[in-house]
Amino acid sequence: MSASLSKGRLRGLATGWGYHLSRLTGPLALLGPAGLWLLLFLVLPTLLILDISLVPGLRPEDVDSAYGLGNYSKLFNPFDPAFDPVYLQVIWRSVYYATVSTLACLVLGFPVAYWLAIMAPRRWRNFLVVAFVLPLWTSSLLRSYAWMSILRPTGLLNSFIAWLSSFIPGVELPTQSWLYTSTAVFVGLTYNFLPYMVLILYASLEKLDISLLEAAADLGATPRQVFWKVTVPQTLPGIAAGCLLVFITSMGDFVVPTLLGGASSMTISRLIYNQFLGITRNWGLGSALSMVLIMAVSLAIALLLKYGDRDSVKEA
Amino acid sequence: MPRQRALYLPRAYRLGPTRRRFLQGSAAAIAGVTLANCRQNIAQQAAPEAEAESTGSTTEGGNGGGSGVLHVYTWADYTNDEMVNAFTEKTGIEVIVDIYDSNETMLAKMQAGGGDAYSIIYPSDYMVQQMIELNMLTKLEPARISGLDNIFDKWQDPVYDPGNTFSVPFAWGTTGLLYNTDVISDAPEDWDYLWDNSSALSKQMTLLDDVRETMGMVLKSLGYSYNSTDPAEIEEAYERLVEIKPDLASFMSFGFEDGLLSGDLAVVMAYSVDALSSIAEDDRLNYVIPSSGSSVWTDTLVIPTTAPNADAAYEWINFNLDPAIAQLNTETLFNATPNKVAYENLSAEFKNDEKLFPPEELLAKCEGIAPVGDAASVYDEFWTRVTSA
Repeated sequence: MSASLSKGRLRGLATGWGYHLSRLTGPLALLGPAGLWLLLFLVLPTLLILDISLVPGLRPEDVDSAYGLGNYSKLFNPFDPAFDPVYLQVIWRSVYYATVSTLACLVLGFPVAYWLAIMAPRRWRNFLVVAFVLPLWTSSLLRSYAWMSILRPTGLLNSFIAWLSSFIPGVELPTQSWLYTSTAVFVGLTYNFLPYMVLILYASLEKLDISLLEAAADLGATPRQVFWKVTVPQTLPGIAAGCLLVFITSMGDFVVPTLLGGASSMTISRLIYNQFLGITRNWGLGSALSMVLIMAVSLAIALLLKYGDRDSVKEA
Repeated sequence: MPRQRALYLPRAYRLGPTRRRFLQGSAAAIAGVTLANCRQNIAQQAAPEAEAESTGSTTEGGNGGGSGVLHVYTWADYTNDEMVNAFTEKTGIEVIVDIYDSNETMLAKMQAGGGDAYSIIYPSDYMVQQMIELNMLTKLEPARISGLDNIFDKWQDPVYDPGNTFSVPFAWGTTGLLYNTDVISDAPEDWDYLWDNSSALSKQMTLLDDVRETMGMVLKSLGYSYNSTDPAEIEEAYERLVEIKPDLASFMSFGFEDGLLSGDLAVVMAYSVDALSSIAEDDRLNYVIPSSGSSVWTDTLVIPTTAPNADAAYEWINFNLDPAIAQLNTETLFNATPNKVAYENLSAEFKNDEKLFPPEELLAKCEGIAPVGDAASVYDEFWTRVTSA
């Protein structure tokens, strides 16, 4: 077989059916592994959860239970005799915790991101951003334990309050047990997810066109007007993205409410855990609760895709 | 076995014929893996019996014959290096210990197929009964176990497993109140202490994160049985538990020691084994078994049907039945031994410790936790309401 012949055949292959094949195999090779991964470890398990959630009160040893909407009706249908409002209460509490900590992250995170993106010296910027994200390098479990030692009755916070009140004669600043309260959960969630909020807002604010701010000021706008009418509208997609990301992650968080929340802080993720690993062992109900959480998060992601600033999420 | 076509056992059925047809198509992709696992499972289940028949007579007495690795699934602080090393030295079997924090967690893991590596587990009394009903335990061969006659008569024919057919009693203990004597001056005597002092000790009390123990305790404080099956009584207990709930710091089964020592917590409901090891570390703590009675629990050694190394499991059981080892377990791990010989050999300090070995008249008021049948769902319902509201 001469060299020229084989070369010609190769070229023929490349421009003939082989060319079309390679147009297919390329993307397939690139997307295949990740696609298979998603199919095996995300799509199939989710379908399995959906399947189990449709069997009322399924326990792991049950054999042939019939399909039905019993699990969902137990959660949501007030006319069902098995309905227990306590589940709605738990879902509501999870939403409440997530909402409050999202707002807290926004209020605390925006000024920081603003300063980082606009006012901080340019050459320090990357360093400062990394420094801000540094806490994320430790496990959230460890960070929650740290908060436990701060918030407990004999902890750092109460010692600090007692120390402060020793300077003010006649005034006794109130010390209290912060641990095992809703406040502790808010603090823990806000602390854990603040870096994400700052990163996303920073990415969004960094693209802010400064000349627009200058123009607004030139045309007589007060600094407050510039902020509310120029800066905020421009970063609204970033704000939406940051809020949704924090909301989603804190809604499903397990560690913080478990460690800091105490006796009255059951959230949906803890309830799911109890259904699978607790005494009730109601995998059907646990799966239904999981589907509720998955649906809520999917809805939030759909909103994010529609209204959020996708670029800043990607950059973060 | 044929009627136990359960979700956890033959894995292929999980994606199988009747209920889960629509998943089959997508499951085909991983069917290879699943089937391979399933076959392995069946092989492992069959293996112990076959091996038992062939080696049953030769390993009698428990010395030798063991090999490989023994995976043990147990409670925290139920083994220590000293004991594990002694076992490895004696038998040549390497031991790997994993821990769980509740019977239910263990059961869920075993049912989900995540516990196939374990040849020895330590379920408590009522869980032994439940696992027997679920066909999850290997019937023990009396010929391969030695030293069972050293066990107290009380544990020779326990209600949870008559004749010790599937389990060997390992340790027993009680549930009671662990408290910091620096924080509370008056020693609690009964469960009522929690209600009487709830406002003074607000957010300084915890109860076990365990439905049967905590609900049982409240039932007992009302004068009912720990194992009540009367929905009206259970509801009454629920009402009473709700009364002190605002003053509870948390429901927790472990992790309260730091809080107790720093004074953040004053009194916690705890298992005697945890309480006594905490007291050994710091004598400001004290433990009391409430005078109206409490629960007496027995933790056992069992071999699951999925056990890959039943030979080593029998070695482990025989090793723990050795009075010298049982004595060491009581002295270092603070669990009360059901082993008569080991008990006799204990020093007076241990034998006379009423927190470890309560007097008979108090024990007579205590109950073992027993399965409650259909009332289980009533317990679940009220427990979910207490913990979730």
